[in-house]
Amino acid sequence: MTITRRIVLAGSAGALAMPNVVRAQGETFRVGALNPVTGAGSPYGSGMQRMIGAAVEAINAAGGANGRRIELFSEDSQTSPQAAVLAAKKLIEVNRVRAILGTWSSGVSLAVMPLTNDADILLMHTSGAPALSTPPVNAKSLGFRFQATNDRFGRAFAEIAAREGFRRPATMAFNNASGIGNTDGFRRAWAAKGNQNGEHVVYEPNQPSYRAELLRVLNTRPDVIVMGSFLPDTTIILREWFQTGTPMKWIIPGWAANPQLVQALGPAVTQGIIAVESVSNEGAPAFAAFDAAHRRAMGNQPGTANAYAAMTWDMANTLALAIEQAKSFETAAINAAIRQVANPPGEAVATFAEGKAAIAAGRKVNYEGASSVLDFDQFGDVTPDFGAYFIEQGQFNRRYVVKI
Amino acid sequence: MFGQLLVAGIVHGLIIGLAALAVTLVFGIARFPNAAAGDTMTAGAYAGLVAHKASGSLLVAGGAAVAASGLISLLGYLLVFRPLARRPVASLLVAAIGVAFLIRAALGIVFGHQQQVFQVPLAWPIEVAGIRIPPMDLTLAGVAACALAGAFGVLYLTSIGRQMRAVADDPDLARVSGIRPMRVMVTLWLLAGAAAGIAGLMLGVKTVVAPEMGWEGLLSAFAAAILGGIGSPVGAVAAGLLLGIAQEISTPYVGFTYKIALSFAVMLAVLLFRPRGLFGRVEGVR
Repeated sequence: MTITRRIVLAGSAGALAMPNVVRAQGETFRVGALNPVTGAGSPYGSGMQRMIGAAVEAINAAGGANGRRIELFSEDSQTSPQAAVLAAKKLIEVNRVRAILGTWSSGVSLAVMPLTNDADILLMHTSGAPALSTPPVNAKSLGFRFQATNDRFGRAFAEIAAREGFRRPATMAFNNASGIGNTDGFRRAWAAKGNQNGEHVVYEPNQPSYRAELLRVLNTRPDVIVMGSFLPDTTIILREWFQTGTPMKWIIPGWAANPQLVQALGPAVTQGIIAVESVSNEGAPAFAAFDAAHRRAMGNQPGTANAYAAMTWDMANTLALAIEQAKSFETAAINAAIRQVANPPGEAVATFAEGKAAIAAGRKVNYEGASSVLDFDQFGDVTPDFGAYFIEQGQFNRRYVVKI
Repeated sequence: MFGQLLVAGIVHGLIIGLAALAVTLVFGIARFPNAAAGDTMTAGAYAGLVAHKASGSLLVAGGAAVAASGLISLLGYLLVFRPLARRPVASLLVAAIGVAFLIRAALGIVFGHQQQVFQVPLAWPIEVAGIRIPPMDLTLAGVAACALAGAFGVLYLTSIGRQMRAVADDPDLARVSGIRPMRVMVTLWLLAGAAAGIAGLMLGVKTVVAPEMGWEGLLSAFAAAILGGIGSPVGAVAAGLLLGIAQEISTPYVGFTYKIALSFAVMLAVLLFRPRGLFGRVEGVR
């Protein structure tokens, strides 16, 4: 028989059409790391991606999950929903990953979750938008959040405002799910404490000036403004506020009030701002392991420098433990096992290797993470603790930790 | 309150107006919507930022913004738009979007995607007749006024400006009258680039500099160019001011979410009653 082009073509088409299992004799479990290496999340993105890599290395060194090595495919979300959707499609359709780890901003996670749902794979993210907890977005309950919801952030803001003795708080929110989630959470919690809420302004992105918005708020003479905001708009608003010469305090989420903000505005403008960020589970053995890995991978930077990297470290470990527990590579089985390995009761474990040994010995494990104790509620959300960081002479000084 | 919103609106309007001037000049003479105008602005902002870091002077920054944006605008013409000159408008529009992507990507690679800011001294406002005006707004308004005076000086007081307006009116008549199109086009693209550069610099000083800033501001520039009457430089600036002021002073009534929509409602209303725009002329059918 002569081999014609047609036969070759038919043959290769047949090979391509063969089920995945037949081709994937390499026996790896494929995982995608989709992180904000560039864009607004870039201060955190590289660290997040490298810590997934470091955790996967440790998992593979311990013999892999349920006998399979984890194979990692990394992509940059550019902190942009459009770019993230393209990257997620590539991860799902070309790399055939079985879970995507580490989407950062709410906009990105909200855009990617429909794709992971359709592909019937897990999405582990660090976004705050409340909509990510419930249907329709999380209709299949395949989404897990390793960061606090914006609502929980708002509750932490209210705790801090009460503790600092503020009486007349006003709120300003960037017009998206995350920004409004923060201020709504605050206003609900503040009212629940029996207090009166002040002026509330929702503003639009990409404005050359926020003076009208600011004046509306300042005219009500608040003693503190609680923000649901991001870095660029916060930079513009604070600069305009400082130039009005009105003395006042600010409570701002840590992803907006970060060292870049101080660098942009200088210590005088940022003096006294209270930045609120979820704090890692710093006393825990898991954090020590993460911290060591972070120092190795990130030029000796301590793990405390990037709370989101601790979250992605936990993602890889939780996923691998769940596979180990499920004794399966099927999404449904892994999904069901996540709460088994992460939530109490059970033997507290700090690393994958420890957990693997305990599972092999037939014991129920409870992974206590580097980012938080990592107990998922019915929505796949966790409740970390929050640090109140006061910016003083350009330095971020953590004065206390609040629990909600 | 009203006075302060008015001041904010004027500065906002000047930025829109300068960007609209860049759009409308190209529209009037090269006859296509230049979608790369926004990213030419961004390039101006980055050039200004670099010059400002090096020299600490806003004047030097302005010069750098004008030079860089003018050069990029001219390169865009020579390398892309000139070879495509006789193609349909749609091809030129798509090419312009491509140039815009190219500029944005290049800026992203060179400067990164993190926001950068002009380290300008922050000062308390000056009180003029009960209105508190930030000194930087006065400076920026002055910069814009100088830039506009320069642009209109070129357009209305020089021979090349007259030739440009002649080409805008009727390219064929201009050609048979002995106007050399190449000189006109080079001046046009330099002038449009310079206007965009100053707009980018102002936006950058007021907000933050990031690769996406110009692209995101492009829509209002187009709106002002249309509202002012396509091809009319005076109209573009007037419409930019109108849109900026309308946005700011409407906020007590419509809130902050709808102020952008409101400025477009103003545009629609004007165009309903005056389809040629504020300063546009009715084009005869030939």
